[in-house]
Amino acid sequence: MIHDAQMDYYGTRLATCSSDRSVKIFDVRNGGQILIADLRGHEGPVWQVAWAHPMYGNILASCSYDRKVIVWKEENGTWEKTYEYTGHDSSVNSVCWAPHDYGLILACGSSDGAISLLSYTGDGQWEVKKISNAHTIGCNAVSWAPAVVPGSLIEQPSGQKPNYIKRFASGGCDNLVKIWKEEDGQWKEEQKLEAHSDWVRDVAWAPSIGLPTSTIASCSQDGRVFIWTCDDASGNSWSPKLLHKFNDVVWHVSWSITANILAVSGGDNKVTATSDHYTRFAMFLEPDEN
Amino acid sequence: MKLKEIDRTAMQAWSPAQQHPIYLATGTSAQQLDATFSTSASLEIFELDLSDPSLDMKSCATFSSSHRYHKLIWGPHSMNSGERVSGVLIAGGENGNVILYDPAKVIAGDAEVVIAQKDKHTGPVRALDVNMFQTNLVASGANESEIYIWDLNNFATPMTPGVKTQPLEDISCIAWNRQVQHILASASPSGRTTVWDLRKNEPIIKVSDHNNRMHCSGLAWHPDVATQMVLASEDDRLPVIQMWDLRFASSPLRVLENHTRGILAIAWSMADSELLLSCGKDAKILCSNPNTGEVLYELPTNTQWCFDIQWCPRNPAVLSAASFDGRISIYSIMGGSTDGLRQKQVDQLSSSFGNLDPFGTGQSLPPLQLPQQTAPQSIVLPLKKPPKWIRRPVGASFSFGGKLVTFENAKSQQQPGIEQQQQQRHHVYVSQVVTEEEFLARSNQLQEAVQSEGFVSYCQRKIDMAQADFEKNVWAFLKVNFEEDSRVKYLELLGYRKDDVRKKVNMPGSCACVKCFTDGYVDGLITQTLLTGNFESAVDLCLHDNRMADAIILAIAGGQELLSRTQEKYFAKMQSKITRLITAVVTKNWKEIVQSCDLQNWREALAAVLTYARPDEFAALCDLLGNRLESEGDSLLQTQACLCYICAGNVEKLVACWTKARDGNSPLSLQDLIEKVVILRKAVQLTQAVDPNAVGALLAEKMSQYANLLASQGSIAAALTFLPTNTNQPNIMLLRDRLCRAQGEVPVGQEVLKAPYERQPVPKGQAGPVAGQMQGPQAPAQQYYQQGDNPPPPGFIMPGAVNPNMPPQQAPSPNYSMYSQGGARPTYPQTYQAAHQYPCGTGGPALYQPQQPIAVPASASYPNPAPNTTPPYLSSAPAHSMPSPLYPGQPQPSPTSLNPVSSFPVPPSGASFQHGRPGPPATSVAYALPTGPTGTLLCFLSVPGPQNGWNDPPALNRAAKKKKVPDNFLPPVPITSPIMNPLADPQSQMQQPLGPAPATGTPSFQPPHLPVGQPVLQGGYPAAPQPLGPCIMPPAASKPSTEGAPGAPIGNAIQHVQALPTEKITKKPIPEEHLILKTTFEALIQRCLLSASDPQTKRKLDDANKRLEFLYDKLREQTLSPTIISGLHNIVKSIETRNYQEGLNIHTHIVSTSNFSETSAFMPVLKVVLTQANKLGV
Repeated sequence: MIHDAQMDYYGTRLATCSSDRSVKIFDVRNGGQILIADLRGHEGPVWQVAWAHPMYGNILASCSYDRKVIVWKEENGTWEKTYEYTGHDSSVNSVCWAPHDYGLILACGSSDGAISLLSYTGDGQWEVKKISNAHTIGCNAVSWAPAVVPGSLIEQPSGQKPNYIKRFASGGCDNLVKIWKEEDGQWKEEQKLEAHSDWVRDVAWAPSIGLPTSTIASCSQDGRVFIWTCDDASGNSWSPKLLHKFNDVVWHVSWSITANILAVSGGDNKVTATSDHYTRFAMFLEPDEN
Repeated sequence: MKLKEIDRTAMQAWSPAQQHPIYLATGTSAQQLDATFSTSASLEIFELDLSDPSLDMKSCATFSSSHRYHKLIWGPHSMNSGERVSGVLIAGGENGNVILYDPAKVIAGDAEVVIAQKDKHTGPVRALDVNMFQTNLVASGANESEIYIWDLNNFATPMTPGVKTQPLEDISCIAWNRQVQHILASASPSGRTTVWDLRKNEPIIKVSDHNNRMHCSGLAWHPDVATQMVLASEDDRLPVIQMWDLRFASSPLRVLENHTRGILAIAWSMADSELLLSCGKDAKILCSNPNTGEVLYELPTNTQWCFDIQWCPRNPAVLSAASFDGRISIYSIMGGSTDGLRQKQVDQLSSSFGNLDPFGTGQSLPPLQLPQQTAPQSIVLPLKKPPKWIRRPVGASFSFGGKLVTFENAKSQQQPGIEQQQQQRHHVYVSQVVTEEEFLARSNQLQEAVQSEGFVSYCQRKIDMAQADFEKNVWAFLKVNFEEDSRVKYLELLGYRKDDVRKKVNMPGSCACVKCFTDGYVDGLITQTLLTGNFESAVDLCLHDNRMADAIILAIAGGQELLSRTQEKYFAKMQSKITRLITAVVTKNWKEIVQSCDLQNWREALAAVLTYARPDEFAALCDLLGNRLESEGDSLLQTQACLCYICAGNVEKLVACWTKARDGNSPLSLQDLIEKVVILRKAVQLTQAVDPNAVGALLAEKMSQYANLLASQGSIAAALTFLPTNTNQPNIMLLRDRLCRAQGEVPVGQEVLKAPYERQPVPKGQAGPVAGQMQGPQAPAQQYYQQGDNPPPPGFIMPGAVNPNMPPQQAPSPNYSMYSQGGARPTYPQTYQAAHQYPCGTGGPALYQPQQPIAVPASASYPNPAPNTTPPYLSSAPAHSMPSPLYPGQPQPSPTSLNPVSSFPVPPSGASFQHGRPGPPATSVAYALPTGPTGTLLCFLSVPGPQNGWNDPPALNRAAKKKKVPDNFLPPVPITSPIMNPLADPQSQMQQPLGPAPATGTPSFQPPHLPVGQPVLQGGYPAAPQPLGPCIMPPAASKPSTEGAPGAPIGNAIQHVQALPTEKITKKPIPEEHLILKTTFEALIQRCLLSASDPQTKRKLDDANKRLEFLYDKLREQTLSPTIISGLHNIVKSIETRNYQEGLNIHTHIVSTSNFSETSAFMPVLKVVLTQANKLGV
């Protein structure tokens, strides 16, 4: 059973992970599909994979029911495990790399309710920060906010390192979407977004398209998909808008690069893409093979 | 992991799955007494709030009941989604009573919460179950084999499922089938289990273990398989769970023997049929897979037995267990840390001392630290296998290029018990998501237009399609950019037609003669002064007498100084409204007009600028006007500023203005903008030699936004073409790299662009290789982010040696830029550079700043002065010194193979020469003038006006540059009918020597003598301010031309004139009526060439073709006598009828009747051609 499939930054390689504990990487350039690597290391179903930004090399993170997070790296054409994190007590359900501007930082959400932040500090060392009890009985999804420098939304004079405010969103079995913000090196719960009546299955922070508005999509076991928006720079007032209520659990939401389409994956194996101002619905019931 | 705790000895019931938030109802258990021996009873409802990390459950309501309970269930009957709390609580009492409570009322604190109550049963009601399909049906079981089916809609009289089983025994469990709604099972402690069919109203099967030792404490149907059920045994001697399949009802299918003592309760998860909870007298709570018998999980519990266990219907990971130590615990099956629990215990211990400062020390005690004895157990492992509900079966995620990766896992109909693992189908699909069809279609149109250079028709289409007037207007303005004589067209668009104006004004000539001998005193005085040559006094007199016209005319005669003084006086005296305009016209101070005009009259201001402004200030003035409109005007005027910017060719401003005026974020509005920008840029490239790759910040942002959008629709190649090539903006460079790679091109070995960020050290294996390896070349992606100073875009591999001297901004690959491909730009970097060396190119502006919109500038360093005013320069002086030194980087030798478009702009049609464009003329030189593919040079002489002068010269230069034209000038034709003579083209190319050909004694071509010096307003010619009539100058004497332009920087002009290579300048068009001569002769030669076989003949013909140029020249000059002309036309007629003999006859006739000197240059050649044609029979 496949649980996740993600393209790399360029859309030329596809990573999949599955219940058979494997992580596979395919070269899908020009419509082909060549298996490049079959990564073994997990001892349970692998839930999610995430590609790091290519500026750090070819790096893939995977998380599994075996409570482990593994960071894989391509070295000389072969993929190897470069880091294994075992700090969670339960299934790790979601991994997401921070915007590359922050460095190599991985957020991991686990069924033990905690969220871990793994930062690469050089020399093969990783620093771990853990938010305990982020979501009671489990965190199902994490998603980083795009790198936005407060105050200047358009241009930043190059040269100096901008002072980013790091944020990410998480969703969990407490039916909440939470927004976390780093302050003085500590992660703090900034917002608690309540609208779902059942587990939040996925959250997806929309890519920045240069507008001051922040947007988050969340989907839930309750079949609802909410779009949360925040217009103020301080990030305090989020308002939900019900995008759609499906009859079955909604497992996954994914924004297009230009943040104008949201792909919604439902429990009935249907994928719905919805566009722009949330009015048009295009159904991709049976996507053509390749 | 324990989540919550309630200190109650009670039966428990979770709210139904539909209920949100989740509640847990507890009812005092009938069979247990706590230490107080209290017999009071209560019904309580708690809310499960998982966002509260504490272990306490929030109590919502307590209702003091007169009953204690053996069983409590919460049915979803009559639930409405709108209500916060709903459903029905059904309780089984001690005395045969079944009681219905309304949980909403319980929570509301109502006194009357009982919906109905019946005590039909005998003895305690221990078994209750709600039918999942008809939630109004409730089954209950009690002593003496009593089973009732209650209809909650008609509660008064229960039904029975059939005749009571014998022997009579207690009913301890009852359960509706999960798949078939009319099937019910009941079990008794004796171990006998009966399955009832309510349609038949009788038991249909009895399940009994043959050893009769089952003491049935639990009964549960399989959630998915209709024929399977499990039975749990309370008997310590047989602490088992049996799994039965009614299809093989003789013995259990499987026996789970995981407990060591009797099982008190079981619960089968509705969310995952592989999870069966059981709790027993061994104080264990186990979660097993009943389909395999494997224990998946053991809950960490204390040593107390649990007598009741329930899955939470809504939250599948949550369960509750009621233990005999008077506690209900809520657990998560997903494991996790028990830190929270320990903390609660610590808190309780601490607070149990009541006083935080028991010793009176004035300091509160630190919190009690419990010894970490439970540390090894504090981490609770999750289920061995992941529960079904966290296995994501489906997903979709977007990736770059609008690709959507989806996966789904075909649901396998797995039959548990039958160990058959169906081959599941796993598919990952990659689909292209296209949501912006119209956007893409329009983008394609734009690309086509750019590629084919069909700008005019593109604009026209846009005009036709435009809905709004403003849109039409904008496109009309843009279109004009590609038409000749753009300023005039602009004027027309603004509502000023020269012809109309001329008609209106065309009154009797203003050239009045001064009558010298007239009556009157003043006249007399004037006459006297004039006769004495004292113009000044005469003018004064006229002014005094209010004879303005006389004064001006006299001042003209009196010289420049007097004229300007007179003008000043005039303006001082006259205060009419129009004066300001006239002032500006005369003083050429357009800036003032533009700055101070009423914005409502912006059209007039723009028209004036269009008419009069010098090309070098034109753009700035348009800009200025645009700025004013933008900053001072109302919203309507603000949008009109776009038009000014279009006139100015100011792309960046257009973008800013446009963006400000409308929402640029929807794809189509972005498309709207980009269409205009691209077209305007094209136009600007044609006319002004701004570096087309130079992109301002805002434009770059828009373009990359556009490219992003294209990419998101899957048009990656198109996105690359639109992406600005020449920018250091990191995001654009990154996008370019991403696009290239997305196309599957891996830029190998390229000098990569400087990473806009420092490359992070790459993590390596903990025991892995040293860091050095990672820096190695193994991963191209990393290389990309490494260093590199000069960033050629990925994918573009410079042939051979990349020119190291090339300025960095020229480096980006033209291959990807539509700006480079357009033909208006050299695409080969070296060529580009070569063009820069052209002195009039980038270096030009300083040298070349004509102050007059007339001929002067043209004379500067250009072989061809503005044709309308300045005389031709004969090809006498330092002839052709220019071409070779000036074009060291001749494109012909090498780059042609690289780019068929050629390094020089070659528009598809020779006609679309953009000459009306005002703008920085100097820079425009190198690029402004595309020639037709035939290499012919078109001269635009039919339209007078200074702007012609601006762009014409480059044409000539270009011609010289190309070295193939000069000998073969197309006769000048009106622009509107471009001559395309495909036959002539290859031929001419073949024939042309590489060197500048004019040396071969080309006759000088006289530019047409245009009416110059007309009164300004009458003619509407911008050239009008020049008061001098046309003057034919000797080639060397360039001074007159500078004089002819008042205000022209004389020194400048001289300087240029000196540098002027006076090669043959330009050719007038062949009069249209005679054009047929040329075309026919040339076509004939071509035909002959095609059929001629021997080289000698071909040579002859080639030569003839060249020498016929003399004829064409004479036609241009119109120096041939009518008889010869008519004779030639007769020859043409004969050629057309292929009667070459007749042609020869006519030829003989002409030669014999005309002056030999007049015809000797071409008639013999013509004879050769005719003879050959006759011979070859073409």
